[in-house]
Amino acid sequence: MSTTRIEVQDLVVRYGDQVAVNGVSFTVGRGEHLTLLGPSGCGKTTTLRAVAGLEHPSGGSIRIDGQTMYDSAQRKNVQTEQRGVSMVFQSYAVWPHMSVFDNVAYGLRVRKLGAAAIKENVERALDLVQMRHLAERGASKLSGGQQQRVALARAIAFSPTVVLFDEPLSNLDAKLRAEMRVELRELQRRLGITSVYVTHDQEEALAISDRVIVMNVGVIEQIGTPEEIYNKPRSRFVADFVGSANLIKGKPAGEGLFAVDGGPTLKVTAPHRPHGKESEVAVRTAYIDLEPRPGDNHVPGKVRQRLFHGDFVQYVIDSPVGALIVRRPPVNLLGEGAEVTLSFSPEHCVLLEA
Amino acid sequence: MKVFAAVATALCAVSWAGWSPAVAQNQPQNQAKLCDKPRQMEGFKTCANVEKAEAEGAFTLYSTDPEQGQVKLLAAFNKMFPKIKTSYVRLQAGALYAKILSERQAKSFLVDVVQISDMGMILDFQRKGGFRQYVSPEMEFFPKEAKSKPEGFWTWGSVIMAGIAYNPNNVSAADAPKKWEDLLDPKWKDAINVKVSNSGLQHGVWYMLLPILGGEYFKKFGDQKPRAFDSYVQQYGRLVDGQDKIIMGAQYSGYIEFKAKGAPLAFVFPDTGVPAVPETYGIVDQAPHPNAAELFMDWFLSPIGQKALAEALLLHSPRPDVPPPGGSDTVPLSKMKLLSPADWEAFEKDRPAFAKEWNRIVGTGR
Amino acid sequence: MADASTGVLRPRINWQSLTTLAVLGIVGFLVLLPMVFLVEESLNVGDPMAFPPVEFGIANFVSILEEDLKTVVNTLVIAVMATVMAILIGFTLAWILTRTNVPGRDKLERLMELPYYMTPLVGALAWAVIAGPKSGFINQIWKAVGGTGDIADIYTHFGIAWVMALFEGTVAFVMISASMKSMDPALEESARVMGASKLRTTLTVTLPLVMPGVLGATLFVFAEMLGSFAAALVLGIPGRIYVITTAIWDSTLAYPPDYGRASAMGLSLFVVMFGMLTFYRRVIARGSFTTISGKAFRPRPMDMGRLAWVLFSICALYVALAVVFPIAALLMTSLQRFATVILGQAQWTLANYQVALSLGPVRTALLNSIMLGLGVATVGVVIMALLVWIIYRSQMRGRGAIEYLVMFPQAVPRLVFGLALLWAWLNMPVGLYGTLWLLALAYFTVMLPLGVRTLAGVVLQIDKSLEECARVCGASWGYQMRTVTLPLLKPGILAAWLLIFMACVRELGVSAFLMGPNAKVIAPSIVNAFATSGTELTAAMALIQTFTVIVALIILFRVARGMTKELQ
Repeated sequence: MSTTRIEVQDLVVRYGDQVAVNGVSFTVGRGEHLTLLGPSGCGKTTTLRAVAGLEHPSGGSIRIDGQTMYDSAQRKNVQTEQRGVSMVFQSYAVWPHMSVFDNVAYGLRVRKLGAAAIKENVERALDLVQMRHLAERGASKLSGGQQQRVALARAIAFSPTVVLFDEPLSNLDAKLRAEMRVELRELQRRLGITSVYVTHDQEEALAISDRVIVMNVGVIEQIGTPEEIYNKPRSRFVADFVGSANLIKGKPAGEGLFAVDGGPTLKVTAPHRPHGKESEVAVRTAYIDLEPRPGDNHVPGKVRQRLFHGDFVQYVIDSPVGALIVRRPPVNLLGEGAEVTLSFSPEHCVLLEA
Repeated sequence: MKVFAAVATALCAVSWAGWSPAVAQNQPQNQAKLCDKPRQMEGFKTCANVEKAEAEGAFTLYSTDPEQGQVKLLAAFNKMFPKIKTSYVRLQAGALYAKILSERQAKSFLVDVVQISDMGMILDFQRKGGFRQYVSPEMEFFPKEAKSKPEGFWTWGSVIMAGIAYNPNNVSAADAPKKWEDLLDPKWKDAINVKVSNSGLQHGVWYMLLPILGGEYFKKFGDQKPRAFDSYVQQYGRLVDGQDKIIMGAQYSGYIEFKAKGAPLAFVFPDTGVPAVPETYGIVDQAPHPNAAELFMDWFLSPIGQKALAEALLLHSPRPDVPPPGGSDTVPLSKMKLLSPADWEAFEKDRPAFAKEWNRIVGTGR
Repeated sequence: MADASTGVLRPRINWQSLTTLAVLGIVGFLVLLPMVFLVEESLNVGDPMAFPPVEFGIANFVSILEEDLKTVVNTLVIAVMATVMAILIGFTLAWILTRTNVPGRDKLERLMELPYYMTPLVGALAWAVIAGPKSGFINQIWKAVGGTGDIADIYTHFGIAWVMALFEGTVAFVMISASMKSMDPALEESARVMGASKLRTTLTVTLPLVMPGVLGATLFVFAEMLGSFAAALVLGIPGRIYVITTAIWDSTLAYPPDYGRASAMGLSLFVVMFGMLTFYRRVIARGSFTTISGKAFRPRPMDMGRLAWVLFSICALYVALAVVFPIAALLMTSLQRFATVILGQAQWTLANYQVALSLGPVRTALLNSIMLGLGVATVGVVIMALLVWIIYRSQMRGRGAIEYLVMFPQAVPRLVFGLALLWAWLNMPVGLYGTLWLLALAYFTVMLPLGVRTLAGVVLQIDKSLEECARVCGASWGYQMRTVTLPLLKPGILAAWLLIFMACVRELGVSAFLMGPNAKVIAPSIVNAFATSGTELTAAMALIQTFTVIVALIILFRVARGMTKELQ
């Protein structure tokens, strides 16, 4: 029990007639970094805000550190300001009429700490984000990246046990995003903060999370570690949304076998207990080799298109199982029209549960 | 929405609960009498308690006279009694009376002395118990018809009469009207102005001329499309700047006032006679400054006050011992053929019919 | 870090709910109660002075159609004419000032606000002097150059509509230019890139895109024109033209006052205005086709070449017609003994100003108006900020109802609301009638839509997350308001304060009914003077009022600039 920080059970949130979150349940362990991943409108931000107390749910319960923050059955709903969680907003929400110092000190001042204690905590927080030298500057004069750091410093200044992140990096450019991602993770590990992180960027989610929850239209599609999500997607949605995959239609044809519609039979693995009604398999584009390997599925094909992406090259290859997308390191490029034999192992040919 | 409905219901409940019953009918008043020892002030006698009046420190008059004139009149009173600050409201008779009645209904007692130029309204107010009876030592100098019976409820403060006025710069002597009937001449169409139906004087003009000139006269007069205004100031102003050519029922005091300022004007006293009505003053029941009110009445009804009125508003006094206003060419009351209603009660009853017909004539459209 | 002391968060009383309930009650009382009385009185077919009415019926409404039809027609005709003209003026000015490179754009935009300070009352007085038949300036000049008769008569339907449009034109201008400004310039640029001429682009791209904004402005202006009072009062009566507002005014001034008739007319006018405004809101809500993101676009103006100077003179002409000529005319009139515009006959004098300034009541009225403006603006702005926060930022359940209530007075013509207030307070057991307190209450109530709308505009610009973050940091609602919301609202609060102050000093419709001998305010006093003191004195009074307002504004602007400098 003491290892669980946050428990969300059967959470339902409605906006008028629309159901934004439709029965979501998960737990977050101490010091864990959990990411809610999904496209816009999937309910991930709503769920996060419900945990913060900024949305009023219609059903379910939320418990933080064993204390009930929301429970529809008990008709209990604790105000935001009393939940003791911290949050970094997508727009940073840095107050333009205050200095950097005052921004970061806000939560400490609310808690009526003494001036010395405030100074100490603020400076420590600013040091952690390398913003100490800008402490006296007016917050409206900061760049996007600097504002982001201030928001982060503010969030951790009063030593919360839980920090919620609402797409904090989505307003930064790609390079900065990649750097900040790593810093965030470092900070979180060092301080041992339990964090719930929302993003639509699957790369980000995979890179820094302990566990990922993939959401779609208000429900959870899959919960797992980044590797599990990537290698063992349970549904078409997860396979498609996370990483890039080829989806091949067909029917199960016995243990470990899958008959492709109008095509050959493939050797597959099923991360779930097969129920016989599956209709698709997913093969990650990165896992398809261009030379046959023993034990793999072998499929002949012809290169139709080649796109050079810099870090990798992407081929579209016509084959008896359909047009497959293949991503390979950018060496030994094949020309269009070249004939190849595609090779992928049964582990990488995943039978989708739904 | 439930909240909204609840609030609305609560408000309706409050509104029904908060209503006040209709104005109580007049209570019989004890007959007031002249006080035993009137005090002699500078130029007039008073029964009022001057110290109390000054302690009250304020006095409010409601009157139909133009603001500037009221200001001058009250300034004269204030000069004699600097401790009493004066204020006033000016509205035409109908509006003024409506306002007073509304205020009394709201139990708002804001006015001390009221002047209305319509006797009908005065009588109505007396019946409603609106006046407080106060017998002033100056009232003995007023003719009988100029006072209420019994004395002390109201008194005529001035007499106003209505003739015909025009601008000799725009109307040649040959064309100028000499009789009331001349105003029906088609060349005056769209060029005549009159007062609104709210005016007491205009009611008087109608009431006195209707039996003499006949109903046909006023029907034809309506075809002249006269324009109605609230005050003689506007009427005479439009004569001066040429927007209108004739005033039908022109207030003589206005003529004197404008003439004194140098305006090009001429006034006609038709042989038929000039309708005349009084401007009547009275102390209001439950006045906020009763002592100041009494002091004012005494001052006002005395030759000093009447002279101040003549200077401020160029009005004729009903007191025979007060000279006419303005210069030596002002016609005194004795030389005018005044047409006044014999029966003020009948005059009062005539008002609604007059208002309706007059509104039609001036195009208020109703 | 994990074991540093973090302070304690204590649970607090739910101030939010209490405040919301209190606010709902008070606003409801102020806004709805007079209307309840108005409805009740409109059904009174017995003694007009009786309260509560003893006989109920719909005769009052029926008689509007039977006997007041001409008035209704007048109202519609004038309102339509005025709206068309106002929209034309507004649209032209908006287009010139936002879409073209007319020289002196910024200064011109500032000048466009001037007519608003003029007020329709003063404008009507001035135009009466300029274009009165026989003796107006224009007719004077006409006669001097040998013409016969009059070429201008302001005392006509058109004349009234003209004056109304001239001063409402600024409102139309502000609304339409706002919609033009929020248009993405790329929409026009893509047309030009494809070869469309400036004219074609304007007609096929700009115009259709701003149509919703123009439509909205049309509805709004039309609703205002229906309830307009000052111009009709000054210019309608000499021409024997009555509109509904002046007819209502007349009914209450007659003896016996026909409150029932007046209420029925007022209610009918209100219903029509309400319908228009609902329609307007729906048009606006359907959104425009313009893109409005967080950024404000600065549309790139079209180069008009030499035409730019023609456009400049159009703007200058408007300022001349709405501000310069009227002020000049009034100035001339106020300096004469008799308001003859026949310059040869003019007798120049300063007496009018002496009299006006020495008239105790004028001084008192002016002082009262300024005091009321200061008081109502100051207190009002605080309450309205609270209201705005409750409506747009809180999660309180009653907030939709509050917004409705607060915007309600907008749909009621001022005069009608004044009548409703009169009737309501005449019959309240509390003796507030005839006092400045009642005027203050009334002003506050009718200014609610103005203040709330201005503040709402600013509040909505504040990112919600700025406030949410404060709460997540543990701030109570009060602390958050004090440290985050109110400081960020400062510029908006200032703007609202100024608007409310000005509106109070100019207020006519409500004040006309609620004044007392000791509670006089300036605008009705000017109207009174027009009726009883002649044009010269009125002109002097009107100029004194305008001048005072401008001086007050300049002082306030200086103070405001000082305060906003603080913020930076």
